[in-house]
Amino acid sequence: MDLFDSVLIFSVLTLILGLVLGYAGVKFKLKGNPLIDQIDAILPQTQCGQCDYPGCRPYAQAIANGEAQINQCPPGGQEGADALAELLGVETLALNAEHGELKPNHVVFVDETVCIGCTLCIQACPVDAFVGASKVMTQVIIDECTGCDLCIPVCPVDCIHVQEIEPALTTFVPNIAKVSQG
Amino acid sequence: MADYSFNGGIVIKNPYPVSKVEIIQAPLPKKIVLPLQQLGGQAKPCVSVGDYVFTGQVVASTKGSFDVPIHASISGVVLSIDKQVIAHKSGLKSQCITIESDGKDKWLVNKNSGVDFLHYSKQALVEIIQKSGVIGLGGAGFPTHVKMSKVLDCHTLIINGTECEPGVMCDDALMQFHPRDIIRGVEILLHICGAKRAIIAIEDDKQSAYQALSMFNHNDRISINQVPTKYTSGAEKLLIKALLNVEISSGKFAVDEGVICQNIATTKAVFDAVINHKPLVSRIVTVTGDGVKPNNFEVRLGASFKHLISMASPNNKAHDYRMGGMMMGIDVASIDIPIGKTTTAIFVNNQAQKPIVQACIRCGQCSEVCPVGLLPQQLYWYAKSKSIEKALSYNLADCIECACCDYVCPSHIPLANYFSFAKALNKQQTREQDRINTARERFEFREYRLERNKLERAQMMANKKKSLKEKMANEHAQKQKITEAMQRVQQAKDKNDGTNI
Repeated sequence: MDLFDSVLIFSVLTLILGLVLGYAGVKFKLKGNPLIDQIDAILPQTQCGQCDYPGCRPYAQAIANGEAQINQCPPGGQEGADALAELLGVETLALNAEHGELKPNHVVFVDETVCIGCTLCIQACPVDAFVGASKVMTQVIIDECTGCDLCIPVCPVDCIHVQEIEPALTTFVPNIAKVSQG
Repeated sequence: MADYSFNGGIVIKNPYPVSKVEIIQAPLPKKIVLPLQQLGGQAKPCVSVGDYVFTGQVVASTKGSFDVPIHASISGVVLSIDKQVIAHKSGLKSQCITIESDGKDKWLVNKNSGVDFLHYSKQALVEIIQKSGVIGLGGAGFPTHVKMSKVLDCHTLIINGTECEPGVMCDDALMQFHPRDIIRGVEILLHICGAKRAIIAIEDDKQSAYQALSMFNHNDRISINQVPTKYTSGAEKLLIKALLNVEISSGKFAVDEGVICQNIATTKAVFDAVINHKPLVSRIVTVTGDGVKPNNFEVRLGASFKHLISMASPNNKAHDYRMGGMMMGIDVASIDIPIGKTTTAIFVNNQAQKPIVQACIRCGQCSEVCPVGLLPQQLYWYAKSKSIEKALSYNLADCIECACCDYVCPSHIPLANYFSFAKALNKQQTREQDRINTARERFEFREYRLERNKLERAQMMANKKKSLKEKMANEHAQKQKITEAMQRVQQAKDKNDGTNI
């Protein structure tokens, strides 16, 4: 009789716990892949597409799915690749030169005298940083520009130029090598 | 005498004592350079190259309510508006207006001078202060009108005459030679902020300044307090602690506690602005160090360091130059830079070998002297390794960069430099993160918009198709009706034809 009791108790227990686990599995199911968010947080959000994916998030998805390497992002630099390696627990890789080189921080601006208002740049911009419309002069909202350079090749009159971001008084950070000497 | 004092801080003997404090009027400079960069942003020039300007004329104005207009400090012709090296630790160039003097010092005529300030409203006086270009002259340069208009229920006004940087004596000189103006200035500030009392804090080694002020103070609401001579007692929060025993918590400001703190020189500038209707075009600068004969000079803003140093009889040796104080000041490479509103002192020292920086031996002396109770040694490790988050958790933001820790460090580690570096790095990282987040948001919104457009388009096409089909079906029914009618007509005709025949 004892045997029967214990089998019964354990069967009931298993059933209840199974139901609880099953319910928790449905209730607390993670939507999306948290790894993609973590990878996306490291990527520089330039949305330049140099990694051969249409933006930073698609690239993050590709890395999470194991389709892409971690060294395909030139704007992130070697530091970015290192950070990804640490997150994913893999060996870090040197930046793949096939995808381009690390360029200094820059934005673009439109030469207003040349612009013909074709709106091709507006369509190319991944962050909607252009203001303009058909057949009117177009200009870049400097604060929104990520420096992805996607607008430069599509411009039929080559009126989009690169402007490097120069160090300013308000954004000055001392050099740590100089700091340590006093 | 109330003295609650604060922990830490250090007593430093004045390395360049003078027998008598004086103010020497510096001759008019041949040309002045006025930097346009201010705390809130860059002022916009409202004169062009070649224009003639009077002394006291506004040459650059600002849109916002935070910053103050910039006045010409001499009369003459605008020589250029371009980028020049200014007194900043970065050594970077910044937009400046250069004016060449005509030597006549013609002032812009002011009509309504000599009005009793008690007849003015608070707002009107604050506006006068802003329009006269008055900012904190103690070194930080926080706009005075912002402080005065921001405060709620102000109970105490503190006038900061504790010029705690050793060697600097410009405020001491001001108190000795213009005590009447200062007391009047305090009365104006009291009228504006509506505080019950004002406390003028003076260090106890400035006896002549104390006596001079006491002699002219006939106001019950103004008291003059002596505080012990100790370095960093001039820091706003620490002075409030020492006088009122009120601690301003981290991230809060004195104005949040109903206390306003103004510098002595600022008070004098307020007096000049309100009573004399004179904008701030000059200040008193201490030139000191072992390379010169220490003295105070009243000099027009925008004059070069060189102009002033040449008057302090410098010796012929090679010099190191430092702006501000020997503790909190910054080293400057060139002396062809303009004197600004916050240039309290210029140090001219004979070039000397800097002590060699050695490794930290964890002696802990730095945390004993830290006046704000931080752990500089801990912060140093984090700043060095750029672990900004860790440093912030050790209250990096509360560091006042007073360099007391540098002073006592037996290894000569420039700790304060590390902390200012860490703060700048933190700001940069925050800026960068903000930028990244905006870019991500905008990219995701664009994706969403494109997707939505696609759906909307598909929906539109589907709707069109549907309505077209309905229309065609309708037409079909109509046609059928017509053909039926035609058939009926035909039948009727056929019938008629039959009967007629």
